[in-house]
Amino acid sequence: MKQLSELATPFASVAEALIAAEGTAPWLKKRRQDALTQFNMFSLPAKKEEDWKYTSLWDFSQQIFNHHTESVEIAADEVDSVALLHDAYRVVIVDGVFSEELSDIDALQSGLCITALSESVDQLEHSLGQQTELTKVGLNALNTMLMSEGVVISVDSAIEIEKTIEIIVINTGNTANLATHLRHKIELETGAKATVIEHYVGLTQDSYFTDVVTEVNLAERAELTHYKLQQESNNAFHIATLAAHLAQASHWLTNNISLGAKLARNDIHSQLLGEQSHVTMDGLYLVDGEQHVDNHTRIDHAVPNTTSDELYKGVLDGNSHAVFNGKVMVHKDAQKTDANQSNRNLLLSRGCEIDSKPEMEIYADDVKCGHGSAIGQLDEDQLFFLRARGLDEVSARSLLTYAFAVDVLTRIPNHTIREALAKVVEQRLPKTGEKE
Amino acid sequence: MLEIKNLHASVDGKEILRGINLTVNAGEVHAIMGPNGAGKSTLSNVLAGRDGYEITQGEVIYKNENLLALEAEERAQRGVFLAFQYPVEIPGVSNIYLLKAALNAVRKYQGLDELDAIDFLTLVRSKMELVKMDEQFLHRSVNEGFSGGEKKRNEILQMALLEPSLAILDETDSGLDIDALKIVSEGVNALRSQQRSIIMITHYQRLLDYIVPDFVHVLSKGQIVKSGDKELAKELEKTGYSWVDEQPEGVSA
Repeated sequence: MKQLSELATPFASVAEALIAAEGTAPWLKKRRQDALTQFNMFSLPAKKEEDWKYTSLWDFSQQIFNHHTESVEIAADEVDSVALLHDAYRVVIVDGVFSEELSDIDALQSGLCITALSESVDQLEHSLGQQTELTKVGLNALNTMLMSEGVVISVDSAIEIEKTIEIIVINTGNTANLATHLRHKIELETGAKATVIEHYVGLTQDSYFTDVVTEVNLAERAELTHYKLQQESNNAFHIATLAAHLAQASHWLTNNISLGAKLARNDIHSQLLGEQSHVTMDGLYLVDGEQHVDNHTRIDHAVPNTTSDELYKGVLDGNSHAVFNGKVMVHKDAQKTDANQSNRNLLLSRGCEIDSKPEMEIYADDVKCGHGSAIGQLDEDQLFFLRARGLDEVSARSLLTYAFAVDVLTRIPNHTIREALAKVVEQRLPKTGEKE
Repeated sequence: MLEIKNLHASVDGKEILRGINLTVNAGEVHAIMGPNGAGKSTLSNVLAGRDGYEITQGEVIYKNENLLALEAEERAQRGVFLAFQYPVEIPGVSNIYLLKAALNAVRKYQGLDELDAIDFLTLVRSKMELVKMDEQFLHRSVNEGFSGGEKKRNEILQMALLEPSLAILDETDSGLDIDALKIVSEGVNALRSQQRSIIMITHYQRLLDYIVPDFVHVLSKGQIVKSGDKELAKELEKTGYSWVDEQPEGVSA
């Protein structure tokens, strides 16, 4: 058997071409070069690594991805039809390229700055890579050596952005097996508030690869509400890192809804670096067929008096496979930490598999920490009750499945976003019931 | 309305119902009483269409249809209603959603359009008065955190809304204090009509003081061993159930 290091896609030579390209700032060349060196040394993580025990990249490693985008135009109403929100600052990336025409960022509220990475990367020497480390997570090196597009958002101090910012990343299927490498950066200065949605959409059921790293930096008292809605093609690969640093009294609410992709992997990391900082880290995954979703989350309570609340729920059908690995780390001095973590799974078929691994490492002695994991099936008594009230079996199963998933949505503070996401989730519910 | 003929049913190979015969005409209220283990709940579950019961003999005709050939939801859509002994809690599904989905399922079968939001709410409110339920119950998850009495009132609310032709009340009095029993009984009495038949399954005579039946049947060891009018229930209250077990098998009075 070939090793994972023998990749069908020549990622390294694509990176070399980027490094050699004229006009690249020297610091960026060096970053890419360092990442390439790293990538050449370690390549892709193999299953023998603990963090990749339940997720194989073998199939991924055998794909031949294309890094050259055919230029493509899509109609504005096509973007409208996939967008989660109608009233939002919209930033649209089509097949890995920022589209100014399709985006709506001309009249921004004062204090808000949104740019495409391709247009502003030269100014990011000191901020890019602050929240992620090359060595830590397997695929950050790949992203760093190849990142070519993304969205850079910054909010000035004490400014509250009223409109939601929706980043829409669309794969049109126009370029076969396209790989896109995106890097987003969200920076909120002292006391700033904003809501950002990362939305990934495939317009076809084709194979492609979305690689994304999102870095979040929250200054004192900043509040970011962040949603990720992943609706990739069922043959796509989606590999993402989301990492945030939280300064004193800052709040981060992140909600990660994973519905699409053949293989989806999220590494989500929150570092609570200032006292009174808080993270709510929620997620919902609905998978069926041959889908595989892996959510690895980590919360570091690095200082005293920080809080975290994590709820991940999953619905599995068909032969799907889900992995949840949630680590909460309470460091030595992090007294009065209050951390709560829960992962609950609903299994709708006999063929699906869940590997759930909640982990807490606690090195402080005056803390309040709780975690739990549950795996279950639909309740036969509830099912009969609904059928005895006239609901057919498929509707009854669908309703109970929705009821299971809904509390992740009820934790969403914004009514419009909650309703929009609820609609998306409802549409994704299993339409056929499996009879005993 | 309903005709049960020589009904035999087993669970896991064990025969629970051993030849039930019962005819219920439109507008009649029948009480089926019996000791624990007589097959009371099995009878209500079999009539409502719960999985897990094997019908080994006999038939059930409901409005000229073979009831046993229908799925649970098809029975409900045709007007069969089971008020549960233990109403389940369904976190995440609001009461109002359940009521609407149930009503629309029945209306769809009847070839009627769905009610619009305002008409539906007006209708639900009028039915809630019947069982003295506060409107806040509409927006809570189905039965979640409800007291025993609230759960039973919620069952009767569903019955009032769905207006079934045949209602089977399975131990509706169990777990009710006297005030709740009165409210539930008043609700059921208000729903008595010439078009609606009711089968009340109960262990105790107490319920029958509030909902007075036309007929009383005693179920024992999977058979109806005695039938009579409401006086039979009073007799049972005095003598208890011990005598029924002494009846020779297969005797139907």
